[in-house]
Amino acid sequence: MKFVLNGKARTAAPGATVLDAARAAGIDIPAVCAHDALQPYGACRLCIVEVREKGKKRWRVVASCLYPVKEGLEVETGTERIRRLRRLLLELLLARSNGAPYVRELAAEYGVTKARFSGLDDDCILCGLCVRVCAEVVGANAIGFAQRGIGRKVDSPFGVDHSRCVACGACTFVCPTGAIQMEHVRALELRTAGGEHLCRYTLMGFLSDAVCALNYECSRCEIDQKFRAEAGTHPMLARAAKKPRKKARG
Amino acid sequence: MNRVDAIHALEAALSAERERTGAKPLKGAAELRTVRQILAAHGGKASQIIAILQDLQAAYHYLPEPELRFISRELDVPLTRLYAIATFYKAFRLVPRGRHEISLCMGTACHVRGAVRVKDALERELGIGVGETTGDMRFSFETVRCLGCCGQAPVMMVDEELVSKLDHLTVGKALEKYK
Repeated sequence: MKFVLNGKARTAAPGATVLDAARAAGIDIPAVCAHDALQPYGACRLCIVEVREKGKKRWRVVASCLYPVKEGLEVETGTERIRRLRRLLLELLLARSNGAPYVRELAAEYGVTKARFSGLDDDCILCGLCVRVCAEVVGANAIGFAQRGIGRKVDSPFGVDHSRCVACGACTFVCPTGAIQMEHVRALELRTAGGEHLCRYTLMGFLSDAVCALNYECSRCEIDQKFRAEAGTHPMLARAAKKPRKKARG
Repeated sequence: MNRVDAIHALEAALSAERERTGAKPLKGAAELRTVRQILAAHGGKASQIIAILQDLQAAYHYLPEPELRFISRELDVPLTRLYAIATFYKAFRLVPRGRHEISLCMGTACHVRGAVRVKDALERELGIGVGETTGDMRFSFETVRCLGCCGQAPVMMVDEELVSKLDHLTVGKALEKYK
């Protein structure tokens, strides 16, 4: 499929999103909530670009992670309008989580060091990576969004239910800001319940006390370290990467 | 496991869940049927989830945790999803509500005609504050902005009924007929 990217003619596979195509062409577009192992989501809006469809006059601002490449589409990824809008988005992110180094660095790239808005002091930027990795990759559905508007947060059902959590740590792995962390006590509780525990290396099957030669110290587990060294990623995500990714909607 | 066994297993899980969470078993098996009837009425479709939750709330005045778990299992919808929906919409409540809901008007006209005194009197009478429910589950008490009948001020709604021209001395009497 032929389209124009920053003035240059390019081709893209059918069904590819603008973000995919731009990255394939070596053009960097900031995107916080996009992840190769997950479906596009469009929460952070930082991946906005300007597009003009064939035969249309107007340039529109769209989220490139959700926008499919069309025949004859013109795309501009770094216009002044886009940079201005991204700066505003970054200001809003900064206002929400001023303390998170990830957000600060991201904002600094666009010359944003201070937000005009007074905000919260919450490391969570609601990108939804943890929620989606738990649902799409792990399949545990242990955490989700709760509340709405200014009170929106990532939470387990009823704020206490962790029975679906398999303590795999995939959420902590994908979290860009470090807002979500493993709680040692809960992990321990899960591991020792009923003389068997859930092991993420056997694809979350139950592992009995007798089988684990390493005595439940997953952080010191040799298999764990080896897996990380070889796959370079969290085991759950390595498994997802092998599966072919579904086409983007649209 | 056949269908009947599966239902028995779910019932056992439901009562164990009630015990664990301390939720009051309202009328035992009758409630179980209610949830099932609601699910059946919507064809057991996960796409009808908001309508199902609305019906559930109409039956219980709130969304009880064991029933939500039951629905989650039956429809194969993650509990996180149900919790997200239940907390997103203001209309859904996760804490028990009384059999009768009092909405006291605090609009301008009612305010001028003594709504604040009526509110204090109601709080004393019921022994609860605004937004709370009495221990016997008889009343829940809310204040609202304007009910749109300022000529009757001060007014309150009890369930679907308008109670008008209140004063702080007689408001207790007006509640007697709601059991």
